[in-house]
Amino acid sequence: MTDQIRYGAAGFRRRNGLALGSAAAVFGVMAVGLVVPPYRTGRDVLQPPGPEHWLGTNDIGQDVLIGLMHAMPNTVFIAVSAALISLAAATTFACLAAIGGTLVATAVLRTVDILQVIPSILLLLLFAAWLQPGIAGIVLLLALTTWHEDVRVLRAIVLRELTRENVRYARHMGAGWSYCVTHHIVPAVWPTLVGLYVQNIRQAVMKAAGIAFLGLTDPRLTTWGSMMQDSLDHLHGDAWRWLLLPPALSLSLFLLIVLAVGQRLERQTMAGATARP
Amino acid sequence: MKSPDPSRRRAGLIYDLVNRVIVFFLLVVLTFALPRLMPGDPLSLLLSSDVTRELTAAEAEALRQDMGLGGSWADQFLTYCRAVLSGDLGYSFHHAAPVSQLLATALPWTGLLVLGAIPLYLIVGVLAGIEAGRVPHRRFDRIATGAMTVLASLPPFTVAVFLLLIFAVLWPVLPLGGAQPIFPAEAPLARSVEILRHALLPTVALAVHEIVRFYLLSRGEAVALSARPFLINARARGISGWRERIDYYGRNLLPVILARMSDSITVLIGAVLYVEVVFSYPGIGHLNLGAIMDRDYTLLQGAVLGLSVLVLSLNWLIDVAAALLARRG
Repeated sequence: MTDQIRYGAAGFRRRNGLALGSAAAVFGVMAVGLVVPPYRTGRDVLQPPGPEHWLGTNDIGQDVLIGLMHAMPNTVFIAVSAALISLAAATTFACLAAIGGTLVATAVLRTVDILQVIPSILLLLLFAAWLQPGIAGIVLLLALTTWHEDVRVLRAIVLRELTRENVRYARHMGAGWSYCVTHHIVPAVWPTLVGLYVQNIRQAVMKAAGIAFLGLTDPRLTTWGSMMQDSLDHLHGDAWRWLLLPPALSLSLFLLIVLAVGQRLERQTMAGATARP
Repeated sequence: MKSPDPSRRRAGLIYDLVNRVIVFFLLVVLTFALPRLMPGDPLSLLLSSDVTRELTAAEAEALRQDMGLGGSWADQFLTYCRAVLSGDLGYSFHHAAPVSQLLATALPWTGLLVLGAIPLYLIVGVLAGIEAGRVPHRRFDRIATGAMTVLASLPPFTVAVFLLLIFAVLWPVLPLGGAQPIFPAEAPLARSVEILRHALLPTVALAVHEIVRFYLLSRGEAVALSARPFLINARARGISGWRERIDYYGRNLLPVILARMSDSITVLIGAVLYVEVVFSYPGIGHLNLGAIMDRDYTLLQGAVLGLSVLVLSLNWLIDVAAALLARRG
C-alpha cells in the first residue's frame, strides 16, 4: 500500500516536471505581452525586413515582429483557458452523469448527442457575427462549442474508477468519499485529463485562429490568425513573405510544440502505468 | 465489429433522427432570438445603412409587419417558424433576392467541392494508410507519418492559403478564385473544363485536412490487421499487390471508415467555409461570410439554417447507409 503510494507519487512528480515546465513557459509567454513596445502604426508602410524592422512592416506601418509578440500571449491565453474551461465543464457533467440518477444521465448524454451533430463552426459563426467577441468572448464561445466532446470518455472512466475494487475496499475500511476521491479516483483519472487537456488546446488554437481568420473577432485584438487574414491582400507581390509566413509559421510551430508535449506526457503516463506494481 | 440486432439498430437511427430534428429546432430558436437580443432592432439597423430612403412612421410600421417584426415575441416566433417550415427564408435586401433563391444558386457549388473532396481524401488517405500500416516502421511509413503530423499541425485555412499562393500566384497554372471565368465558354465541354479547373484547388484544400484523419485512422487499423493470422497466411501464399491491399485490408477497413464518415461530413462543411473564403468560391460558405460582413442578418439566418439542413440530413443518410452495409457484411 505505502509502496504503491510512493511509486504513484514519484510518477506524479516526474510527470509534473514537464507539466510544470509547460506552465512556466505559458506564464513566460504571457509576460512577454507586458514588455513588448506598443503596436503602433507608422509612416514606413510595407517595408521589407531590414535593420530597422526585423520582420518588416504591414500596410499601415506596424512592425510585424512586435505584432507577433503581441499576438502570442493572446493566442496562447485563449487556447489555454478555453481548453481549461471546456475540460472543467466536461468533467463536471461527466461526474453528474456518472453519479446522478438515470434521469440526469439521460439528460446529459442526450445534450451531448445533440451538440455532436451541429457543426460547431455554425454556432461560432452565429454568435461571433452578433457579438464580435474580444478575448473573454472567444474563450467562452470556444469552451461552449467544445465541452461536449469529452463528456462520454470521461463518464466512462469515472464510472470504471468508481466501481473499482480499491475504492470498494477503501470504502469498506471506513474511508470517506473525499478520501477516496483524492487518493484513488483523481490519481487514476489524472493522466486522461492531462491528455484531453492537451488535445483541447490544439483544437482551441485551430478554432480561434479560424474565427480570427474569418474576421469575426474584435478587430482590435491581434492574434496570429488575424495577422494572417490581414496578409491575404498582399499575396500578389513580395509582401506575403514577411506578412504571411511569420504568423503562419508561429501558429504551426505552436501546434507542433503542443503535439510534442502531449505525446511526451502520454508516453510518460503509459510508462508510469506499467512501472506501477 | 459486432452487429447489434436490427430492431435496436433501427431504434438507434430513429433516436439520431429525433436528435437532428431537435437540433434544427434549436437553431431556428437561436437564429430567431439572437438578432432580437441585440441592442437596436433589425429594422432600424437596416434603415441606418445607406440602402434605403427616409420612411414615414406608417411606412416603417408596414415594413415592420411585412418583415415579421410586429406583435409580441411569441407572435413573431410563430410567424418565423411558419415561414421557415414553408421554405420561405426571407428576403435579402443587399442582394435584392429571396434568400431561398440565393441558397439555391450557392448550394450546387458547395456540393461540387464537397463531393469532389470525399473520393479524393478517401482514396489518398486510406490507400496511404494501408501502405504505411502494411509494414509498420518501414521507410514509407516513417516519411508519410511524419508528413501527416506536420499537415495535422496546420490550421485548415493555412493549407488553402498556401495552395493559392503556390499554384495561382507564384506559378500561375490554375485560376485564382471564383467558380468559372467572368465570361463562361459557350461550348459545354469547354465550360466543364473551366469549372473543373476552378474547382481543383479548393477541392484539394478541402480534402487535405481529412486525408490526415483518414490516413491516421486506416494506418492504425492496418497495423492491427497486419498481425492477424489470416493476413500472415495470405502473404505466405504469395498474395500481394492490389489484391492484398484492396481485398484483404480495404474490405476490413470499410466498417471503421463508414463509421467515421458522418462525422467527417460535419467537419467538411465547417472547413468549406474557410476554403470558399480563401478562393472566393461562390458557395454557401462565402454567402454566409458575406452576410456577416454586410450585416445582412436575414441572409445569415437563412444560410445557417440551409447549411444545417444539409449537414444534418447528409450525416444521417450516411449513418443509415453505414447501418445497411453493416447488416449486409
